Amino acid sequence: MKEAATTSPFLTYILALPEILLVVGAMILLMVGAFRGERSANAISWAAVVLLLLAAVFVLLLPAKGKVLFDGAFIVDSFGRFMKVLTLIGSAAAIVMSFDYMRRARLEKFEYPILILLATAGMMMMISANDLIALYLGLEVQSLALYVIAAFRTDSVRSSEAGLKYFVLGALSSGMLLYGCSLIYGFTGTTGFPGIAAAATLGQTNLGLIFGLVFFLAGLAFKVSAVPFHMWTPDVYEGAPTPVTAFFAAAPKVAAMAMFLRAVLSAFPEITPQWQQIVVFISIASMILGAFAAIGQTDIKRLMAYSSIGHMGFALVGLAAGNAAGAQAVIIYLTIYLVMNLGVFACILSMRRSDGMVEDIDELAGLSRNNPMMAFLLAMLLFSLAGIPPLAGFFAKFYVFLAAINAGLYTLAVIGVLSSVVGAYYYLRIVKIMYFDEPAEEFEAMPGKLQAILGVSGALVTLYFFYPAPLVSAASAAAKSLF
Amino acid sequence: MIVADAFFYLFATVCVGAGLMVISARNPVHAVLFLILAFVNSAGLFILLGAEFLALILIVVYVGAVAVLFLFVVMMLDVDFAELRAGFIAYLPVGALIGIVLLIELILVLGAWVITPEVAAHVTTPTPPPAEVSNTQALGQVLYTKYVYFFEAAGIVLLIAMIGAIVLTLHHKEGVKRQNIADQVARRPEDAIEVRHVEPGQGL
Amino acid sequence: MYYAIVFLPLAGALIAGFFGRLIGARASEVITSAFLVLAAVLSWLAFFQVGLGGQDARIEIFRWVTSGELQVSWALRIDTLTAVMLVVVNSISSLVHIYSIGYMSHDPHRPRFFAYLSLFTFAMLMLVTSDNFLQMFFGWEGVGLMSYLLIGFWYQKPEANAAAIKAFVVNRVGDFGFALGIFAIFYIFGAIQFDTVFAAAPDQVGKTFKFLNWEVDVLTAICLLLFMGAMGKSAQFLLHTWLPDAMEGPTPVSALIHAATMVTAGVFMVARLSPLFEFSPTALGVVTFVGATTAFFAATVGLVQNDIKRVVAYSTCSQLGYMFVAIGVGAYAAGIFHLFTHAFFKALLFLGSGSVIHALHDEQDMRHMGGLRKVLPYTWIAMLVGTLALTGFPFLAGYYSKDAIIEAAFVAQSGVSSYAFVLTVFAALLTSFYSWRLMFMTFHGKNRSEPEVFKKAHESPLIILIPLALLVVGSICAGFLFKDMFIDKGYEAFWRTSLFTLPSNNIIHDLHDVPDMVKFSPAIMMATGFLVALLFYKITPAAPANLADAFRPIYLFLLNKWYFDELYDAIFTKPAMRIGRFLWKKGDGATIDGLGPDGVATRVLDVTRGMIRLQSGYVYHYAFAMLIGVALLATYFMFAPGASQ
Repeated sequence: MKEAATTSPFLTYILALPEILLVVGAMILLMVGAFRGERSANAISWAAVVLLLLAAVFVLLLPAKGKVLFDGAFIVDSFGRFMKVLTLIGSAAAIVMSFDYMRRARLEKFEYPILILLATAGMMMMISANDLIALYLGLEVQSLALYVIAAFRTDSVRSSEAGLKYFVLGALSSGMLLYGCSLIYGFTGTTGFPGIAAAATLGQTNLGLIFGLVFFLAGLAFKVSAVPFHMWTPDVYEGAPTPVTAFFAAAPKVAAMAMFLRAVLSAFPEITPQWQQIVVFISIASMILGAFAAIGQTDIKRLMAYSSIGHMGFALVGLAAGNAAGAQAVIIYLTIYLVMNLGVFACILSMRRSDGMVEDIDELAGLSRNNPMMAFLLAMLLFSLAGIPPLAGFFAKFYVFLAAINAGLYTLAVIGVLSSVVGAYYYLRIVKIMYFDEPAEEFEAMPGKLQAILGVSGALVTLYFFYPAPLVSAASAAAKSLF
Repeated sequence: MIVADAFFYLFATVCVGAGLMVISARNPVHAVLFLILAFVNSAGLFILLGAEFLALILIVVYVGAVAVLFLFVVMMLDVDFAELRAGFIAYLPVGALIGIVLLIELILVLGAWVITPEVAAHVTTPTPPPAEVSNTQALGQVLYTKYVYFFEAAGIVLLIAMIGAIVLTLHHKEGVKRQNIADQVARRPEDAIEVRHVEPGQGL
Repeated sequence: MYYAIVFLPLAGALIAGFFGRLIGARASEVITSAFLVLAAVLSWLAFFQVGLGGQDARIEIFRWVTSGELQVSWALRIDTLTAVMLVVVNSISSLVHIYSIGYMSHDPHRPRFFAYLSLFTFAMLMLVTSDNFLQMFFGWEGVGLMSYLLIGFWYQKPEANAAAIKAFVVNRVGDFGFALGIFAIFYIFGAIQFDTVFAAAPDQVGKTFKFLNWEVDVLTAICLLLFMGAMGKSAQFLLHTWLPDAMEGPTPVSALIHAATMVTAGVFMVARLSPLFEFSPTALGVVTFVGATTAFFAATVGLVQNDIKRVVAYSTCSQLGYMFVAIGVGAYAAGIFHLFTHAFFKALLFLGSGSVIHALHDEQDMRHMGGLRKVLPYTWIAMLVGTLALTGFPFLAGYYSKDAIIEAAFVAQSGVSSYAFVLTVFAALLTSFYSWRLMFMTFHGKNRSEPEVFKKAHESPLIILIPLALLVVGSICAGFLFKDMFIDKGYEAFWRTSLFTLPSNNIIHDLHDVPDMVKFSPAIMMATGFLVALLFYKITPAAPANLADAFRPIYLFLLNKWYFDELYDAIFTKPAMRIGRFLWKKGDGATIDGLGPDGVATRVLDVTRGMIRLQSGYVYHYAFAMLIGVALLATYFMFAPGASQ
């Protein structure tokens, strides 16, 4: 990108510095890897972590006053800043969590951290997208990298299958998204979000535009794995290597939801009632399916897939409110969701015996006696996922339901509460298995990196209620910049 | 204008028809050939829109490179389309129903499409104006300036695709003999050839 | 002093209950008994202070409930009525405590037993000293609970448990009415203080309220509801069935709770609430009717029972009927007087029977006794005195009180009171008969018990005989000593305001001026009963059997207690069990659980299974789902009204 800076004032490009840093850094690391070979995988992974954290620092250092560049296609504001930091942390944590798994699985390839870097760059482009084309390109940068790492374990049929399924369905969803984009472009004459918003105010709302919106949102819903565009999620989560699943469940979800938020709130504020109906529909469907389908699962990764579907449904409840309070609730929800998920996956990655990884829920039996600390923290995280006070997950749900009720969406809130009750069952079942069942064979000791992530995650989730102010006020500022 | 309209409908009809044949042809080679037909007709549509550069790029890149690559792949691999389509037939009625419903809705909606003056006035004007420059030149003018972001992003997409292709398919298997050009070049006759004098009638 | 009277038993109960294991059985017995004796002595002091000295008192302990208009304090209301009850409760209780030391000497759970006894005493004291309905209800339920625990004291015995549950359940029926009555009082009067309610009662005369389109007199309704509680607690006709079964408990318990104190709580309650009942002639009529019926009914059943304790129990039931008759006709003082005297001689009879049972190693069937007069001379004397007192032998306790009741019933002169008069007189005959029957079967004639049991039979130890002796004194003296105070010349000075009577109610004065025929009728009946019993069980021992054969249906009818247990079993218990089983299996199990927790859980699993089946693993299914989703949303917006405005 640097060489193209001649026609624009170079200094404005500094707003895209974190993205540029990631992409350029990824290319340099790619060269290093290509010339140094697989030996450098470890070092490149650490370098990628450093790059991600550096990018996060830059994101925080940059001004965040709603500046646009690239002819309005790229926006930097406090919403983007918050979400980017979240995404970067999620990606960095995912890499940190992958070290031991990759070493044990003989998957130490330098391309893995590089693909994560590029995927993260794509996510940041999605978050900053202020134009349909920018949105689509960001999405493809991210998705393509994700397809590849889903199939990363080439010696595993399931991993390949997961990658292929993800790719095919992702392509279909991209097609829908593009179809929607073209309809929207056709009916508004522009691809920029502000232009679309302005055009939508003119005259009657066109049914064609709404059709475009339907296809567009279908494409977005695929990315956040909302029902009925969720079908890929369980298979991909189960088939992909576990660190990849951990990555999938965290950063891309946050980025996709952020993109979802910005797209509907800044491009379609004038037809809020219309997209609100769509969001309510997919939100209800996601919450219910997430709650019910997870009950029948025995594989913990698959269970987490349904869990994430359900959680995206809950997050969409906040979006359905369609106001700043709702957006704030979604932002808080995503933050807490990310923290909880990283912690849970740190535990899942520790489910290892001498003969390899295990993924069955029953293998956790009696964990409270074999590894009381891990069992306790995992139980806290599961309680939090179930939304039990006073853990963070309760507040996350509380904020979104409150926003929905204040917006008059009582049915949605009631269904949400009921499905969270149903959903609590399968989280509690895991706790029951850990604490009350006859102990299964002991796991290997938890690697230090996973311990650190689990500890931080557990502490944040457990102690959130002591000091929620920083998160709430930051989320509030971020949400305001969308309106 | 009537001629242009006529050509539009010709190209459009053939394009859709070819698209249908791509997915319904029994022989995979035929399917690829129909794909090429669809590409060519799309190129014709581009020309009708005055986008001759895109039309030619489509012919050169897709027909000339991509489709031919497909053809090679299809010919080299023994893809059993009948097997792949076993599920297709079973779900055809429902799928067709959904598709037809969606199609009718789209026709109803788009058929009633009227661009209101307000929206027309709002439409972004192409830069630079097509009347002044050819569209090849226009693309050249905006590609690295106004649309540099999109261009670079597309470049990253391709980079990722490349990395992905390599990661997923390249296996360094042990015990496989590979060509090493440096070794080949550096090799001297004395390394490779040993002259043995063999006595006639004795063997080694 | 009043604090000591009321709280000493509680202290004893707490010590024995919580530290019984620590301090041992002997210490528990001594502490509780000593506290009770002290309380009894103080009670007598209080009795003289209040009854003779006229020093009523009201001691507020602390504020209990403050909720809106409802303000309730714990307070001790000390007047003559309370003082009488204090004397009865604490005297009998202390004697029973002492007696129990001997009687229960082989039981391993003595600390628990004594803790229960003392706690019961405390609850009874709370009841009699109550200053308001809530406190009374507390004591009321407290004695009910302790009665339950003591009847079921030998919890290893299934019959004891069944009897305990029966007592509790039957009492619930009465308590339900009692509670409703209290609610009604709070609803009508806005207060549950006795003083407030009594002061406001005259204003409510003649007022009515509508219930199911039926004009109901306010005071009558309240009184009848409250009386329902009294019927339950005092084992009156229809709610009497628990009392005979309660004899499964240890005999001292029967003496204390089921003869002297708790069962008289109903009588006390109606007397305490005389300012209410006095304004409702209808309610009083009902009281009279129920009392008279019980007196007669229980006496008839008592004729043929063979269990020594059951005979005494039916006798108690019958005597309680007498008390209600007295109260029903307006002679509250006579009722309380009979309560007072009855406490002594009935406790004496129970403890005497206990002595017999103790001597015969837990034999209770009178058909296996006989000829014990020689073996148990002191017990025989005690029982003789008790029987004489009960049957109304001149100058013994029962003579004064029972005759007063019969005379009062005669004087009252209304339809119900005539009925009561006839029945009570006849019941006096029956009383005399079954009492002497008990005496003859137990102490006279030939021995019918196992020879070795008879051989081992011995007079009870001193610790059992001393309480008997004291009760003998009470049974002899309680009548003539206190007659003047209770129902004669000292009436006004003694009772003052604690018993309320309308100015028109002069029954206490009138009952002394009755025809001689009436005056002598109880004595004649007593003599007749004695002679018949003598004839049947002493002179011609074959007569009872012949008579029973001749009138077999009547005999069986009486032996089976008028088939009340069977009747209730058929009307209430079995249908209740059937309804219970129905509600359990069909209602709770199939409907609530089925549609509720279990059903929801099953449906959840069904839904889950369906959703998992959707997740087929085929890419084209997944793609199809996405397309259906899009098509649905698009179709919705095509047709949704207002979607495209």
